[in-house]
Amino acid sequence: MTFDSYNRQKNAALLKAVRKSSSAWLQQHLQYHRQSQRPWSRIIGSMLCTFGKFTMAGKITLFGLLLIVFVAVFAPFITIYEPSAISGGSLEPPGPEHILGTDELGMDIWSQICYGARMSLIIGLAVALISGVGGGTLGLLGGYLGGNWDRVLLRAIDITMALPSFPLLIVIAAFLNPSILNVILALVFLSWAKPARIVRSSALAMKKQHYIISARLNGASPSYIIRRHIMPEVLPVLFVSILNIASYAIVAESGLAFLGLGDPTSKSWGMMLHYSTSFRSIYFTPYWQWWLIPPLVALIFLLLCLAFIGRDMERVIDPKLRMGGRS
Amino acid sequence: MMPLLQINDLSIDYLSEGTAGRSFRAVDGISFALEKGEMLAVVGESGSGKTTLALGIMRLLPENARVTGSIILKGRDFNSMSEEEKDQIRWKEIAVVFQNSLEVLNPVMRMEDQICEPMIKHLHIEKDEAKKRGSELFRLVDLDPVWLKAYPHQLSGGMRQRALIAMALSCQPEILILDEVTSALDAFTKAKIADLLRRLQRDFGYSMILISHDISFLSSLTNRMMVMYAGRAMERGDTDKMIDHPLHPYTRGLINSTPGIFLYRDLWGIPGEAPSGAVPGCPFYSRCTQRVDLCMSSSPALQPVNSEREVACHLGGVVTLLSASGMNYCYRLPDGGVLDAVKDVCLDISEGEVLAIVGQTGSGKSTLAHMLAGVMGSGVGEIYFKGNRMNGKGYGSQYGGIQIVFQDPVNATSSRFTVLDAVKEPLDINHLQRPEERVELVKAALASVGLSSSEQFLNQYCGRLSGGQRQRVALARALIMKPKLLIADEITSSLDVSTAANVLRMLKGLQNSQGFAMIYITHDLMVALKVADRIAIMERGRIIEIGNSHQVILHPQEEATRKLVETKMNREELIPGG
Repeated sequence: MTFDSYNRQKNAALLKAVRKSSSAWLQQHLQYHRQSQRPWSRIIGSMLCTFGKFTMAGKITLFGLLLIVFVAVFAPFITIYEPSAISGGSLEPPGPEHILGTDELGMDIWSQICYGARMSLIIGLAVALISGVGGGTLGLLGGYLGGNWDRVLLRAIDITMALPSFPLLIVIAAFLNPSILNVILALVFLSWAKPARIVRSSALAMKKQHYIISARLNGASPSYIIRRHIMPEVLPVLFVSILNIASYAIVAESGLAFLGLGDPTSKSWGMMLHYSTSFRSIYFTPYWQWWLIPPLVALIFLLLCLAFIGRDMERVIDPKLRMGGRS
Repeated sequence: MMPLLQINDLSIDYLSEGTAGRSFRAVDGISFALEKGEMLAVVGESGSGKTTLALGIMRLLPENARVTGSIILKGRDFNSMSEEEKDQIRWKEIAVVFQNSLEVLNPVMRMEDQICEPMIKHLHIEKDEAKKRGSELFRLVDLDPVWLKAYPHQLSGGMRQRALIAMALSCQPEILILDEVTSALDAFTKAKIADLLRRLQRDFGYSMILISHDISFLSSLTNRMMVMYAGRAMERGDTDKMIDHPLHPYTRGLINSTPGIFLYRDLWGIPGEAPSGAVPGCPFYSRCTQRVDLCMSSSPALQPVNSEREVACHLGGVVTLLSASGMNYCYRLPDGGVLDAVKDVCLDISEGEVLAIVGQTGSGKSTLAHMLAGVMGSGVGEIYFKGNRMNGKGYGSQYGGIQIVFQDPVNATSSRFTVLDAVKEPLDINHLQRPEERVELVKAALASVGLSSSEQFLNQYCGRLSGGQRQRVALARALIMKPKLLIADEITSSLDVSTAANVLRMLKGLQNSQGFAMIYITHDLMVALKVADRIAIMERGRIIEIGNSHQVILHPQEEATRKLVETKMNREELIPGG
């Protein structure tokens, strides 16, 4: 046995041991949280459980997303300059003063990236939550209660889904004031239909389940059935849909900003791209290396994180896959 | 015309020795009349006072018995007679045939001497004459006179029984009281004794009181029947009609415990024991499935229900639990057409009864079950449950209501729920009991359906259970609400045969012990025959035939039923001699 292969084996054994102990830790916590009667503890338990089923890529990108969130939240502490303060000379290359250099107005790029993460995340989160929760609620009521309300909802969903979203978004953004609120509202208007449709169809299917009929015959109110039976089943699906909407909203906001339809005073990655690409003949200068690349990389990284997490979530909650075996 | 034997308000108490004033009432206020040539059946479980009644009529009771009420034989009151007169009557007017046993006969006397003794004593005839008549009597009861020389232990049980009948007939009485004459005999001998009794009644016009717990034996012989329980008459009427349509829950329980009546069904006795002491209310209270508060405090009297039936029940016999009429439901087809899933169905379910609804797939039986349970709301027909009209909500939200268990075990409980949560849910929804008590009730319910009630099982997710286990959990969930009516919709059809058999037997056992009524939906006629009191055959949304299960099978009225029966079993072996 060569030293090399011995080393490799030792490493593998070590890795296995680490994995084992970490999974033992996970199992222990899972057990604890599952048996607990407190709802929060149960939620933590199910989160741990979900995390345990993620692929390696999913786990890494989850940490990536947490990193971006960390950067966004603690932006004032990890940057030296205000993002819109003229803190240095125009178009300085990366150096000890400005780690990612400055733009044409002498603003620190790193600061802009950090504060821009806030903008992207806020828009993504706000749009996803409002349209996910709002659309989900509408779909739930429509699916469970049925009747005329459901018919109206279904038409509204069909119409919204049929609209070409990005061109319409450009038109709306061009007509409205380019403020964050308007961008959020426009995006919500265009993206509520998908979660509504998903939730409606699963509520409709679940309504016919015998255990729900039993509960209803036992005198359960609609609110009880929605709370105890339908919500827990629908929430994971809704969560994936929320993740997808978040990516869509972030791309859409960046796209609008890139086209110059964003708020010109706001600091967002899209705006940075817009300004940098508007700089005449930027590709003939070295400036693109520190002005154009960082926001682009940040944006791609965030979207990749969301995509990987979304994919893993989908895999975990898919009942066909949950039963074991990949389809 | 005056009846041959008239008994008015006869009560017999056994006084306990030593403790003065303490007594046990074995017969409590029995009245009946026996016409000439009539055969009256007295039925009841052991300890119901049947034999004491017979001994009371014969005045053969032990010293510590006290008799009240009157026994009038051919217009003469027993009470006004002297001991000698009674002694005269005992063999010449009324004779008793005791349950066959060696104790009844003197083991050291030849049969000949034993049979001659009453004749010499009561008819005052010579010994030779008596011997001659003895051999005639033996021939009459199909017994070779050579056996007259035998000792009792040399005779077989059937022969001894015949000899006892011959002894009873020796003084040519007008009334024969036969106390459990066939209970220890095999079926063949029993049939021969029945033939003998029928012949004696036809040829010589004896009046008989047949005391037995064997209803199928009595039903072939008698035309009137009296059911006794704890010394009281519970029900009285025409024998065949009583067997077809018993009114008292006790009578129904007895009939359900009798093998010969429902040919295919499993046997289930009446759960519980008769009360051992005096009770203020109805003696059947503790075992009754439809008891009300009144039954505990006051004892019901035997009262006529119609011209030929009397029943001792405050509720007038078995109560109709659910009555549905004008049940209609249709599905809209995709092409705009309408499919009548259930059409003009009327249905009654009695308290504690098992009704099987049998039909092919698509005959509307499940839809009907769902309608009765209230799945479709209230606009499907007139449904009355315990006398109240069904409103939109159904009756599942309270104790003593209707519960339904569905076909598919995977769908019957939520996979995300633990066993504890799934079974406890109805209590949680309706805020019944305190939370700690609910867990105890869940454990009891799980135990009753044969599942573990350990912590580990309680915290198991329903999604991880097998089909049979999940179906039991669904049953436990229904039973925790103590339903009066359980609707079981094909609950065993998705289980394997062995699991299905276990679940089915357990369900029927629970039905028997807890006394709820059940509607059992199935496509399998054989399964229906095993569990059901009554069977309804459904076809194309209609109930085409409904009746006692043995009648539906043996004498199907409709062509469709006949076909269903024929496909299920060989017709030759079904109808005896057919």
